[in-house]
Amino acid sequence: MVAIIQQTLNGLWFGLVLFLISSGLTIILGVLDVLNLTHGELFALGAYLATTVGGMILGSLAEPTGYGLQAAIVIVAVIGAIFLVGLILVPVGAVMESVFIRPVYDRPEEYQLVLTFGLLLIIRDAVAFIWGSIPLSWNDPYSGINELKTTELLGFAYPSYNFFIMVLIVISFVAILWFFNRTRIGRIIRATAINREMATALGVNTRRLYMLVFALGAFFAGVAGAMLVPTRATNLTMGEDPLVLSFVVIVIGGLGSIRGAFVAALVVGVVSRLAISIAPALELAAPFAIMVAILLIKPEGLFGTWGELE
Amino acid sequence: MSGSESGSEDGPDEDGRFVVTRGGERRYRLMKGLELTRRRLAYLVVGIVFLFFVPDISNFTPLSFRAVAHGLMFGTAAVGLNLILRHTREVSFGHAAFFGTGAYATAILATHLKVTSGFVLLVGALVASTLMAAVIGFLTLRHRGIYFALLTLAFGQLLYALALGFEYLGGADGLPVRPGSANKVHLFGILFPSEVYTPLVYYITVIFVLLSLLVMLRIVKSPFGRALDAIGQDRTRAEFIGIPVTRYTWIAFVISGVYGGLAGGLFGLFQEYIRPGRTLFFFRSGEILFMAILGGFETLLGPLVGGIVLVYLLQSMRFFTEYFNFMTGVVLLAVVYFFPEGVVGSIQEGGALRLRLRELRSDPAVVTDWGSGAVTAARRSLGQLKYIIFGSR
Repeated sequence: MVAIIQQTLNGLWFGLVLFLISSGLTIILGVLDVLNLTHGELFALGAYLATTVGGMILGSLAEPTGYGLQAAIVIVAVIGAIFLVGLILVPVGAVMESVFIRPVYDRPEEYQLVLTFGLLLIIRDAVAFIWGSIPLSWNDPYSGINELKTTELLGFAYPSYNFFIMVLIVISFVAILWFFNRTRIGRIIRATAINREMATALGVNTRRLYMLVFALGAFFAGVAGAMLVPTRATNLTMGEDPLVLSFVVIVIGGLGSIRGAFVAALVVGVVSRLAISIAPALELAAPFAIMVAILLIKPEGLFGTWGELE
Repeated sequence: MSGSESGSEDGPDEDGRFVVTRGGERRYRLMKGLELTRRRLAYLVVGIVFLFFVPDISNFTPLSFRAVAHGLMFGTAAVGLNLILRHTREVSFGHAAFFGTGAYATAILATHLKVTSGFVLLVGALVASTLMAAVIGFLTLRHRGIYFALLTLAFGQLLYALALGFEYLGGADGLPVRPGSANKVHLFGILFPSEVYTPLVYYITVIFVLLSLLVMLRIVKSPFGRALDAIGQDRTRAEFIGIPVTRYTWIAFVISGVYGGLAGGLFGLFQEYIRPGRTLFFFRSGEILFMAILGGFETLLGPLVGGIVLVYLLQSMRFFTEYFNFMTGVVLLAVVYFFPEGVVGSIQEGGALRLRLRELRSDPAVVTDWGSGAVTAARRSLGQLKYIIFGSR
């Protein structure tokens, strides 16, 4: 029983991080109408940046050993590092959009796929050039976080860092919904996703908006990568699985739907983790089987397309 | 080698069985629908002769024999994919599913069913991939555009995940096609030593590739191929003039899947060992698609040339530079921005490369125009960047 609960928690944790990755992919697809194959590499770039930034910040702090002030400082520092990584990726995304992707909006989608795949290869080698091809892990400065025990009330130990990040992602999910439903710029983005010509006619600078949306997507991918660093080592191909799984998530949820991405990511995360304990052979196949089933039953995804009022 | 398609609709003014004159130009007629000018015929002969001598040439030059062979195999899959990409205008992002099905069919037959005849293994690959393409096509072709691409991707990844998960399929280690000394693959009923076997499989591959190109030419030129073109241009209109759209797209998808399966079966015979990452992973699907575009998907030969070029870039560049992915990425970017017709399309009459070269020859100063265009574009994007970061122009 405890094992099942633990796997479910792992699934939730995995699903929430997956949501953060796919939310970036889904808004880029929803607004720009480009399937961004570099998204996984932006995620990996975020992870590699986090090893540097997080290492720098945490290296200057003491290791957390208890519940006290020190632990609080470290947690703030970790949030700071994650956020900083996201901010570094904003100009990266903006440059990619304006220099490389903008010229191909009017071209057939196969060219967009070739272009983003070429960028994927280039980013991967740039990462290899900067950080080397050896897997990096920063368990030492971060491991203290996992030693903070907050899970006694549930009756078994669970890394508190994961809990902490899960709460953070749920909060950012609410913030994203608020951004797209309540703020002016968010509504403009949604309006552009529904009808680009009309938005342009009403005076929206779509070129600038597209750049902003791509930068936002890069921000989410980078933050997701940075969040994972304390729990796993980085490697050069770490972006592949999140990329494919976020395809699955956005198709299940409905192309461009944030809410759909949230639900679908949780479903994919929990099911694939539970599959480990029930039928290990199906662990990798489970998300794709769900996707195929959903597409055959409800082709537009669970929540339909985004942009329309939810 | 150049595109081998030509042929006009007006009746042939025959002057012989093998030589015809069209518009005052002598053309050599190899079969119905395949007429070549003298230059193209020469290119074709040189290309075929080159393909047959690759194993010998690679003995005394750095040309990699394996890379060319793999390129031919993946290129054949790309030729198949091109049938739906070029004619029905659907982007399949899961063609590795059929390549992998073909490869795994040979491995399963050889390992678990102890089949030794190479041609039975190939037939097995063809049958398995036909069935797989029929099922996947039936389930995916209800969807269009990006949904179709993602759905084919999902099926490909589903097969990949199953191959990884099940012990029967070898898991991550894969399966041998020639398990043990007692169960080797026979060709023509003869057991060959391995130094003869590999080149022999290569020659068989070349023959199959040439045959499959001819078959594809006939398909494209047939009424069925024309109907696919009509479907690609406008589905509703095609439906109205009486083309059974659903059935035809499904048949086209199955044919393209069979090409993938043939390529995969040959790959299994050639490699003698199958791993899921080499055959079924979604990067392979992407590569098969990119081969078609890199070589020029508006031509018949383009995908094959693109296959050889891309595989060569991915497999052989790593001996020259550590950052071979970067080089491949730059090549793909160059194709998108400067040579959208692909390698073959650009070399052909009226292609981008020809046009650029003619401009350069007539007026070398055109280079400064290209340069200033690039500078303007870079300056504009820097301005945009400044806006995004600092919020003002």
